[in-house]
Amino acid sequence: MNNIFKFSFGILSTLGFAWLAFVVGANLQFGDLSPEAEYFEDNGSRPTDAELFPKDMPGLAKQGAEEYLALGCVSCHTQQVRLFTNKDAEGNKIVEAGIDIQRGWGKRASMARDYILQDHVMLGNTRIGPDLANFGLNEYDNAWLHQHLFEPQSLVPDSICPPSPFLYDISQKPKDGTITVSPPAGSSGDENKTRYVIPSIRANRIVAYLRALKQDYELPESPFVETDEEIIEPNATRIQSIPDWVNYPASPKSLVDISEQMSAGKEVYTKIGQGGGGCVTCHQPTGLGVPLAFPPLAASDWVKGDKDRLIKISLYGLMGEIEVNGVKYNGVMAAPGMPPGSLTDQQVADVLTFIRNSWGNSASAVSPSEVSEVRESIKDRTPMKMWTAEELLSHSKIEQ
Amino acid sequence: MKDTTEEVIDRSAKIVVSFFVASAGLWLLVAALLAYIAAAKLTDPFFLASFEYFTYGKVKVAQANAFVYGWGGNSIFASTLWILARLSQVEVRGRIMLLFAGTLWNLAITFGLLGILDGHMNAHEMLEMPTIVWPVLFISYAVIAFLALVIHRSRKHSDTIAPQWFVLASLIWFPALFLIAWNGLEINPARGTLPSVLSLWFGQSLIWLWLTPMALGAAYYIIPSILGRAIDKYYLAIFGFWCIAALAPWSVVHHLEGGPVPMWIPAIGTVMSIAMIFPIAVASTNFHATAFRDIGKVWNNLPLRFVIFGTISYTLSSYIGVIFSLPDVAKLTQFSIINEFHFNQRVYGFFSMIIFGMVYHMLPKITGKEIGKSAKSFHFWTSAFGVLILLLAYLIGGLTHGVLAQQSSLDWSSSVISSVQPYFIITKYAFVILGFSQLVFVINIWKVIFPNPFALFLASSNEQKGKTA
Repeated sequence: MNNIFKFSFGILSTLGFAWLAFVVGANLQFGDLSPEAEYFEDNGSRPTDAELFPKDMPGLAKQGAEEYLALGCVSCHTQQVRLFTNKDAEGNKIVEAGIDIQRGWGKRASMARDYILQDHVMLGNTRIGPDLANFGLNEYDNAWLHQHLFEPQSLVPDSICPPSPFLYDISQKPKDGTITVSPPAGSSGDENKTRYVIPSIRANRIVAYLRALKQDYELPESPFVETDEEIIEPNATRIQSIPDWVNYPASPKSLVDISEQMSAGKEVYTKIGQGGGGCVTCHQPTGLGVPLAFPPLAASDWVKGDKDRLIKISLYGLMGEIEVNGVKYNGVMAAPGMPPGSLTDQQVADVLTFIRNSWGNSASAVSPSEVSEVRESIKDRTPMKMWTAEELLSHSKIEQ
Repeated sequence: MKDTTEEVIDRSAKIVVSFFVASAGLWLLVAALLAYIAAAKLTDPFFLASFEYFTYGKVKVAQANAFVYGWGGNSIFASTLWILARLSQVEVRGRIMLLFAGTLWNLAITFGLLGILDGHMNAHEMLEMPTIVWPVLFISYAVIAFLALVIHRSRKHSDTIAPQWFVLASLIWFPALFLIAWNGLEINPARGTLPSVLSLWFGQSLIWLWLTPMALGAAYYIIPSILGRAIDKYYLAIFGFWCIAALAPWSVVHHLEGGPVPMWIPAIGTVMSIAMIFPIAVASTNFHATAFRDIGKVWNNLPLRFVIFGTISYTLSSYIGVIFSLPDVAKLTQFSIINEFHFNQRVYGFFSMIIFGMVYHMLPKITGKEIGKSAKSFHFWTSAFGVLILLLAYLIGGLTHGVLAQQSSLDWSSSVISSVQPYFIITKYAFVILGFSQLVFVINIWKVIFPNPFALFLASSNEQKGKTA
């Protein structure tokens, strides 16, 4: 005890034993798990051409996991379904469904293999909210999930889950792509009016993540639990608790398509030559442009603001002096496409959706129908005649 | 002759210890504010809802980090340096380096907490601060720990006693734990639930192997030195120490009961948790058999009253922890707010109370100024009362939460969580009381450390005048 080196050696070796078990030993035991078939043949081999599980999440859902982590959702939500074995009167081992499965939080116990493809495993240790390991089994549509994320109390009156209004653009009137959120039950007064919200890309990511959370396949080590006990079907309880006055809007198309639009838009943005927009040459992959030469798209009000203006620029190009984020630029931008102005309505919609939701931008998606509307409204304009910033700004003033 | 040596040591420790105690106090207030926000958000989900910086999850995590690394870390540095210097009978050296490393430590935590609130949280328990601050924290810790070890190595007597073992163990275990966790989580990250096992192990071991030995060491130091009598059954202390060293790193994983990990992990955790009865019994016997010989003095001496409150709390909380690690009980309460009970019992009821006593014992000695008795007493009663209310609310609330959650016929939010809601309201008021109490503590210590801030200000402005002239 008196020699500090011997002492340190002693106390570090007690720690080292635990390290050997929980890190080295555990890694040897289950560090090499890989996706597996749902069951094995009787002879113990994997059925030929069996589908392997777990499957990887879509990219948008993986981004959603980052948002879920950043917002600290894991403080209240676990993601693990437990199953306890019990002994009956004769001492035989029996499997009870257990409360997690009875509550409809899963069809079987969660296993280590279920998590091997996740970048952030958030098992959690407190259930102030329900378990989310199988949240994707619930048949909610995107609008319901957005409404719940925006303000849980509008759907589940007793919920203490904090609202996330910062993930949404709120408008007072219904527009294309808005989701209707009713006031919480029992509330009154001006501030509790019905709101119409447009989800940001971050909100869409979280919703994609929540929908991707499901262990809806069997694993050899964990088959679905069969039980006589009463099991609440996923969705059932919470559907009951939704008051009938809730306006249940059809899922707006813009929400579903945003991930496809984002990837298609990115291609238009980066592709140079036939069928591409070639935007990347001037505005750069970072969306920051080139100082004093080409204006940035990131954090630009021109990009995040009025869609009409943006569509007009994409169809005819822009020239002359323009002020972006307080800096003046003077240049010429031909209409994107090769030849200029040749992008289709769909392509324009995709690339605009992409730039409006990249590099920290977060704004509503642009639909092809909006593009064709604008195209129709300015069809008398001289072909290839570029806009000036002044002209565009005066247009929007007249409209206002 | 002896007195003068102690005076010299205290004088050498003055600036460094004051710095750490003063910053610990500030972190305590930050943690108290965050604790209130988190508790208030549970009772009213619309409270601060429009600020993304203050989602419940972020605030909760930031509070735990401010509490453990801000308040815990700084007060551990202060107590470690002073106890080691006093027991080694050597002066504190490398004061500039200590102050520098301490400033770095505090800056890193500040950035870390801002990072959490700004959405750059890590998914690892008690390592949630963004990745970039950890190397800084580690280096500043290493500097402080090295200088503390230098004090110990140059000690006058080669024989060591119980407080030194515990304090040194706490000093050495933290960086070891950190390196193990950092290697397994960031440098060579494993897949699937392996990082979850490791991060849980780190988060719980941090409390068992960093905060706990520090507080036990402080208690082993302070009880005999105030009472002026030897620790009763002192020969057991070495057994208790090695039991903690051998068992604690294994016992913490019982929290994974039923989780998606191999069954041996929670099983070994449960067995080792039960075995923890031995070291708890040893510490309890040592402290309480000694203290209860002179209970009148314990009652009248405020630092000692704080310490004994802490040791009683340690004994009770550890036994309660053993009960809750049994699989049949864990099944019920595992995911309930009983976790908050364990955390607060350990870091508030036990660790912080002992450290309050330690600070009240140490500050008058190093600064030569007494802290008002009624102010200390007010702090004690509000703290004791607030902690009791808080812990009772979490205990009863946690049992309610756990038991009701087992009834699948009860709807989750309208029945289960609504029944726990009253306890959330109680904890909110308990945090108000505790925040008030901590404010009194900070005023108490700041008054001693900076007796006349105005004078200091005047002095510095005079200096500046002198420079300009």
